[in-house]
Amino acid sequence: MKPAAFDYLAPATVREAVDALADTSRHAQVLAGGQSLMLELHYRRSRPDLVVDINRVRGLDRLDVRDGALHVGALARHRDFESPEVAPGPLGRLLSLAAHHIAHPPIRALGTMAGSLAWAHPAAEWCAMAVTLDAGIELRGPTGARVVGARDFFHGPHLTARRRQELITAVRLPLLGDTTGIGFAEHRRTQASFAVIAVMAALTVFDGVVTEARIGLANAAGTPVRAYAAERSLVGAEAARPLSGPPEHHPFARAGGIAAECDADPRARPYADVAYQRQVIAVLVGRALNQACEDLRRLSGGDRR
Amino acid sequence: MWHGWTRREDERLLTGRGRYVADIVVPKCLDAAFVRSAVAHGRLREVDCAPARRVPGVIGAWSAADLPDLPAVPRAALTDLSTPQAVAGREWPSLATDRVRYAGEAVAVVIGADRYRAEDGAAEVGVRIDPLPPAVSTVEALDGSVTLFDGRDNVALEGSAGAPIDEAVWREAAVVVEARYRQQLLLPSPMECRAFLAVPEGGRLTIWCSHQAPHRLRDELARVLGLAAERIRVVVPDSGGAFGSKSATFPEYVTAAFLAVKLGRPIRWIEDRAESLVAATRGRGQDQRVRLAADADGRLLAFELNIDADVGAYPQLGAGLPMLTASMATGAYTTPLVHATVRSVLTTTTPTYPYRGAGRPEATYAVERSMDLLAHRLRMDPAELRRRNLIPPERFPYETPTGRRYDSGNYSAALDLALKTLDYGRWRAEQAQRRAEPGAAPLGIGLSCYVERSGGEAAGLHEFAGLEACPDGTVIARCGTASSGQSHETTFCSLVAGPLGLEESRVRLIEGDTGEVAEGVGSFASRSAQLGGAALRQAATVLIGRARERAARLWGLPPGEVTWSGGTLRSGAGEPVELTLGDLVKATGPLRVDERIRAHTAFPFGAHAAVVQVDPDLGTVRVLRLVAVDDYGVVVNPMVVAGQTRGSVAQGIGQALYEGVPYGEDGVPLLRDGLLDYLLPTISEMPPLDMAETITPNPSTRLGAKGAGEAGCIGMPPAIVNAVADALEVTDPGLLRMPLTPDVVWQAAHAGEGR
Repeated sequence: MKPAAFDYLAPATVREAVDALADTSRHAQVLAGGQSLMLELHYRRSRPDLVVDINRVRGLDRLDVRDGALHVGALARHRDFESPEVAPGPLGRLLSLAAHHIAHPPIRALGTMAGSLAWAHPAAEWCAMAVTLDAGIELRGPTGARVVGARDFFHGPHLTARRRQELITAVRLPLLGDTTGIGFAEHRRTQASFAVIAVMAALTVFDGVVTEARIGLANAAGTPVRAYAAERSLVGAEAARPLSGPPEHHPFARAGGIAAECDADPRARPYADVAYQRQVIAVLVGRALNQACEDLRRLSGGDRR
Repeated sequence: MWHGWTRREDERLLTGRGRYVADIVVPKCLDAAFVRSAVAHGRLREVDCAPARRVPGVIGAWSAADLPDLPAVPRAALTDLSTPQAVAGREWPSLATDRVRYAGEAVAVVIGADRYRAEDGAAEVGVRIDPLPPAVSTVEALDGSVTLFDGRDNVALEGSAGAPIDEAVWREAAVVVEARYRQQLLLPSPMECRAFLAVPEGGRLTIWCSHQAPHRLRDELARVLGLAAERIRVVVPDSGGAFGSKSATFPEYVTAAFLAVKLGRPIRWIEDRAESLVAATRGRGQDQRVRLAADADGRLLAFELNIDADVGAYPQLGAGLPMLTASMATGAYTTPLVHATVRSVLTTTTPTYPYRGAGRPEATYAVERSMDLLAHRLRMDPAELRRRNLIPPERFPYETPTGRRYDSGNYSAALDLALKTLDYGRWRAEQAQRRAEPGAAPLGIGLSCYVERSGGEAAGLHEFAGLEACPDGTVIARCGTASSGQSHETTFCSLVAGPLGLEESRVRLIEGDTGEVAEGVGSFASRSAQLGGAALRQAATVLIGRARERAARLWGLPPGEVTWSGGTLRSGAGEPVELTLGDLVKATGPLRVDERIRAHTAFPFGAHAAVVQVDPDLGTVRVLRLVAVDDYGVVVNPMVVAGQTRGSVAQGIGQALYEGVPYGEDGVPLLRDGLLDYLLPTISEMPPLDMAETITPNPSTRLGAKGAGEAGCIGMPPAIVNAVADALEVTDPGLLRMPLTPDVVWQAAHAGEGR
């Protein structure tokens, strides 16, 4: 478990980093938190000619709110999202809930949100979060900068719209309105293992009726899943009471079933066949929506951030 | 109860001054990396090492064909477990010759200036294997379609314990329960994987190895290398755990030592985790069929256990290991008829070796799961059913129908203490309340009464200990054991210091070094305190006697008039004279005693209990409470023993809920991401654990200690699985196969509903 030899470069600026990536004759890998890349290097599954370590690039660790979005620099660590203060309103609460489910504290101290999106592991919480929130992924390449929407970014396990010469410089997460309640539910086998399934939900409610729903699923397919069909089933539904009674009579249970059967595309894995994964998706969607309702209830009780 | 106790080794280990094999710096040392088969089973057509030899920093690369003199893995010299009949014609080559029989089997070795270069070379070795069908389970290996060794059966060994039971017994019994159980393959997973360093020098060979039995390693290496044993010195420095998995002479050790001698250069092989996951030996691996008969009052009449053990590709120690399960099939009960049979079946998986518990967890599981099935059938409280059948204290020593002689015990006292510690009645009331309440999370209580075996088998029931009094007043203790993290420095030094009346800091322990310790058996089978400790205690008594004799001669007194207390000799008559032990040595010359002890096998026992809550929608098991009541005989150091209990309980939880090796269709383990795929319990998975003890001294030694290393692996898995079965009221035992991962539990919870 020793990496093959590679060249190493630690640029100080984004321009230097992008210049280093520009030479496509050399296979380059970007090192941010290293929590996935180092394992790949040690297993020799990744054998780059060049590793571009961006940890010394100035300004990439910025986290700020402007123009209705949270701008997350490429070096913002998972740990930075542990506090709900990271963003105002429901977005901060949702990111905080999710961050606590990412691996364990030492990994959260180093791993980055942008690195997680670049790696595009199907079980990653941040990838599902990005599609749930319609995040924008800012890329810088030799010919300039562009922004790719999360919905177009993920092409498959470890496959994204990022070109080899491009660096993710930031992720833009739109803020959520104050009438939105959020929920996050994850099922995993041990405290620090990957999610078997994770579900995040944001419900916007007016007069007790759902006007907008966002549901994201992690590890429910080869790419992060936005559960559009389940979301559609919720619009116009009553959101006032939590899940109880015979499941099929409740809109949240119905949404869970739709997410599991229509939106998700699970593949059999050790310890989780397809039927079991669909079961977990249905249950967790119900629980995440329930949490979102609870979140709204707390808000209307006056506990607004 | 152990607050205020400390471990002597901790100052060194916790401040980063521990010295492990990988820390030992030898000038110009080379590193070995092995090229391993990615195929589970196949004909080895070609191994081309030439490209590796061209890689910068590579000193050499060899396949088996390049090393015709490379010896095979030696048959274990220790016990009856590895029989010549099982091994003959099925030798484990140190590098595969014409056939690979498990994914991970070494097919070539590359020696480099360091591990990076060695791996660079290993990546260039060309390997061509024509795949053959794999057989990763006993069922596949027994159906006759795959033969691992041409012309030889896949059953390497058959055996039995107890007498066959007349079919009439089953016909006439009021109740008979039948079940099939699976003991999954487990990876022992010490924090430090295997580590081996061979340093040749002037016709001698020094081996540094994280090993449990250095004298055996020395003898086996001497045998295969054709060296006299006294030309090899094996040293075990600090060790990061073993759990039974470091007691053998592995193929990599043979290869590294052979090449060190051949090249005349120091060579080390430091196994990493990725390698360990495929190449290190596994534990457990049994398919069991059981029948348990009882009368209408729940008195046990007969128990039958048929074991098909998957022992991996080469029948070494693991082939005989299931016989330890067979001989322990009586459990803690007075069952008059017990019969157990064993077939050790070769499969295309990494060979099976001992893993913490080694044969006893498998027996306990078969008995204790069946007891709960029987209790359910009889509508009897499982605690009451056990109490009715436990061997009563007055019947010890107890000869079991499976040929064991249980030395001593009070089994029902342990059960009663476990129930009291748990507050059994309160949990049963809570369970009843939840069952009446719609939507409440199901809660279950599981029990397990275990009896295990410590000290090992007949051939290994002896140990060496020596004490040397030094002129400066300190004492050097030598013991034939070898700590792999069991706190011998703390425990053994106190065992000597106590009777000598010395401060513990005045005693220094030397072990795990064949150059310093004349002979030794090692540390496995929970034998170190039981045998090594007893030998040291005996040596201390002898040392005091010798010291008194010498002082008496010095003073011209009869020995009876010289007393010993607090490390000082005093004349009891006439003019009072005093002499410390150090001054006695100064006055009369070196004083050293060497003792050898023999003792019987001991049988520690206990009762474990688990309370779990199940999320029936996801299948998640949450362990709310565990109770471990263990009787290890006399406990020397309660803190150290509590650590052993805690650690073995964690591994018991691992077997019950988390650990397993999934195989793909091609017979290759699905462990691509290492410990992200093979989940070990961590501190986050440790539930509240209450420990309590009863003490029934080992009648075979004056120390009275029995083994204390493995109980949690033995008693806890059936307690936890029984608790889950109880929570879900699952009566079909086939539904709950370990590990009880959420998908397994969810399916069991909804088995009746039709998914």
